[in-house]
Amino acid sequence: MNLYSRLVVVIDHLIWVILAVVFLFFVTQSEYFLTERNISNILSAAAVLGVLVVGQAFVLISGNFDLSTESTLGMSALLGIWLIVPAASPHFGGGIGVNSYVSIAAILLMGAAVGYFIGSLITLGSMNNFIVTLAVLLVIRGLMLAFTEGSAVNGYNLPEADVFYWLGHEKAFTIPGVVKVSYAVVATGLVFFAGHIILNYHRFGRELYAIGGNRNAAVASGINADRRIRQVYVLSGMLAALAGWMLAGRVVSIQVNLGEGFIFTVFAGAVIGGVSLHGGRGTMLGALGGVLLLSTIDRGLNLMQVSVFWVKVIQGLIILLAMLIDAQRVRIRALAQLTSQRESPFKA
Amino acid sequence: MAVRGKAAVSPPPNRSPIIVQKARHMESSAVDPVVKMHGIVKTYPGVRALDDVHLDVGAGEVQGLVGKNGAGKSTLINILNGLTQPDSGSIRIRGVEYSGLTAARARSAGIAHVAQHVKYVPGLSIAENISLGDLPERRGWVDWRTLFETADEKLRKFGLDLDVRRPMEATSVAERQMIEIARALFADASVIILDEPTAPLPKREVERLFSFVSKQKELGASFIYISHFLEEIFEIADRATVLRNGRVVGMSDVSDLTQKDLVHLISGTSVQRFSRQTGELGDVVLKTRNLSRDNAYSDVSLEVRAGEVVGLTGLEGSGPGALARGLFGLEELGDGEVSISGKPYVSGSPVKAIAQGMANLPRDRHGLGIVAIRTVKDNISLSILGRLENRFGILDGKKEKSLVREYIDSLSIVTPSMDVEIANLSGGNQQKCVVARFAATSPKVLILDEPTQGVDIAAKAEILRIVDDLSKRGVAVCIVSDEINEMIDICDRIVIFHRGRITREFIKSEEEITPKQLIAAIEGVDMEAQNEPL
Repeated sequence: MNLYSRLVVVIDHLIWVILAVVFLFFVTQSEYFLTERNISNILSAAAVLGVLVVGQAFVLISGNFDLSTESTLGMSALLGIWLIVPAASPHFGGGIGVNSYVSIAAILLMGAAVGYFIGSLITLGSMNNFIVTLAVLLVIRGLMLAFTEGSAVNGYNLPEADVFYWLGHEKAFTIPGVVKVSYAVVATGLVFFAGHIILNYHRFGRELYAIGGNRNAAVASGINADRRIRQVYVLSGMLAALAGWMLAGRVVSIQVNLGEGFIFTVFAGAVIGGVSLHGGRGTMLGALGGVLLLSTIDRGLNLMQVSVFWVKVIQGLIILLAMLIDAQRVRIRALAQLTSQRESPFKA
Repeated sequence: MAVRGKAAVSPPPNRSPIIVQKARHMESSAVDPVVKMHGIVKTYPGVRALDDVHLDVGAGEVQGLVGKNGAGKSTLINILNGLTQPDSGSIRIRGVEYSGLTAARARSAGIAHVAQHVKYVPGLSIAENISLGDLPERRGWVDWRTLFETADEKLRKFGLDLDVRRPMEATSVAERQMIEIARALFADASVIILDEPTAPLPKREVERLFSFVSKQKELGASFIYISHFLEEIFEIADRATVLRNGRVVGMSDVSDLTQKDLVHLISGTSVQRFSRQTGELGDVVLKTRNLSRDNAYSDVSLEVRAGEVVGLTGLEGSGPGALARGLFGLEELGDGEVSISGKPYVSGSPVKAIAQGMANLPRDRHGLGIVAIRTVKDNISLSILGRLENRFGILDGKKEKSLVREYIDSLSIVTPSMDVEIANLSGGNQQKCVVARFAATSPKVLILDEPTQGVDIAAKAEILRIVDDLSKRGVAVCIVSDEINEMIDICDRIVIFHRGRITREFIKSEEEITPKQLIAAIEGVDMEAQNEPL
């Protein structure tokens, strides 16, 4: 290991160092930061974001983009509650009145269907992933508006939805004085873990890395890249639906613009966590770091009573900083390769 | 050419730079070389990439620069281009001493670098590409007439007859290189660096490029020519400088060198030319009948037996490459019948091809072969993940590692570990990894498309050995290649394509195959008829 190779290792894990520094900074800035309530809030915010980031990371690793997930998230929250609202309910003209389980299945299926639709357009229709997902984002947003005519879907006082709310609402366990962990947080943890296993030890993940790294080579090696890309969008859509389900349990009253603009935070989380926009690179551990960093900063600034406008500015600057680090990473990695070529005899 | 050194070839194990002293001798020579790099040292943390390296290029000279991947050629060229700063040493360009050569200063000093794949703007015309960034204007609008006229003039001055109104993408790779050279010459380049220009070129284009370069040389232009193809060094270069492990191990007039000397200098060991003994032939494995595809090949009927190595060759675009891609499903196959071991073969995609026992080592290693940012292990196991997964799709890591280990050992892939990114390996070792990937699929038919392209000589021989080994295990092998000598070494049979049709077949066991015969057949010249008057 030479100097540059060591630097690569440091930079690859830089996110955790930054997270620690940021965390300590907020601890010194606000006495409320280290409270049970605040830590729980950070984790809850990280849960929804985390699930979306996992989906986006998979899509990015395959060398694609998915801008539509924020709308799928909003749609699934809205649809999920509306399906449960009884037909003759005063809420928003009445819903369907199905039970929670059917509703959960329906929204996950909806997410999968959206993903499959996008994946098919991209692979079978040879369309650009950016444009396709942008268009789908607009379509779903439009559908939400048309469907509700702009009014919120209100799920208060809806005992039928208890099961539906369980994921986002109920606490799984409490460590008194430290943190209350909701089922959403546990679920997100599981999603990250499963993502890690799939990316590293499952054929699907390994093929995604190859497709993102060099799609033509992957195809020439006998990988069905088109099918994998459809699958990755299905996964992304389902995870967005899962995130919507979590969020519904937390906010209960679903505004039609739920999740609007969230996609930028999702991308920021993935990129800060080291997932490459060029495809083929990225880990779940890094993405987790990115998610925790963003939610920590979000809550921390909130506690410091920084205005929301400045929060946006700071988020933007953080993204720029992440890109800067990423660019250096590429440079240093190239240097590391160059030097390791020279010093070792294996480069015969 | 006053700056020619006498032949001085140091024996490889001896690292004392005898030749370099000869080079120093030339300092006193009356005519200064156009470019003179002297005592260049470049150290990266822990390694000395260049150690007291000298390089000079005279006016009207082609200086060959050879060495294995990683010998220091690129570092040296990067220093001359001002992209890398040397730790010590001096650079003189046209008699002016440059210290702290930046990219901008190198350019203004007339250092021009012509890459293998010239960068250009596809949608624009040749003329626009030539004058890019400096389009002639009239009242704020592009002055098209002047643009085309000056571009035409520039090219004509250097003997290039091209329609400058044509879009740049309609030109061939060699034409783009020549345009780039002409552009550099017009901008009064001191020296033009040609960096492996011929690797992507078909034979005929190579000749065009060479005659163009020779002509410019006679008119006084200077070149640094980098190539892995040693024949080309003898053909085009006046002198050759050989680098090994960051040192100059030889510098000489090429007329004083034999190819064997050069190989010896480059590798530090003598490389055995590979020669194959035909083994036992089994049953017919690959069989095609009347395969045809528009503008690619027509009426191709072939049989390849288990244990046989069949070479397919011809002029660029004459059919073998398209056939390889068609059979593997990278392109459409067209009409006709194909069977593998008697079973009808269904083409369409590499997925299907591999499932039916066909594998194809693609021509373009970087584009279609390696996934550069993944590890050696991931690259080797890429095509057989399906065989390593359990019921839930989880891969058997142990089995994977032992399998990869096996291939690394048996193909002598040189890598510090299987977990480094494959981009770290030399071209030859990368190529061996791709061979391993396809060998691991246990193919019945293995098609290799230019398997030795862009790898150094030692690796070339090793790849042929691996191919021989696979065939001895009963694989039916087809090699598509322009490398005539290699084909003669490795193939049991060589099938010649001309304009998409099979025109001739040479069988090693029945006749001695000479390069001359092959070239004549490839060019479509009737040997018998031509021999008569001789």
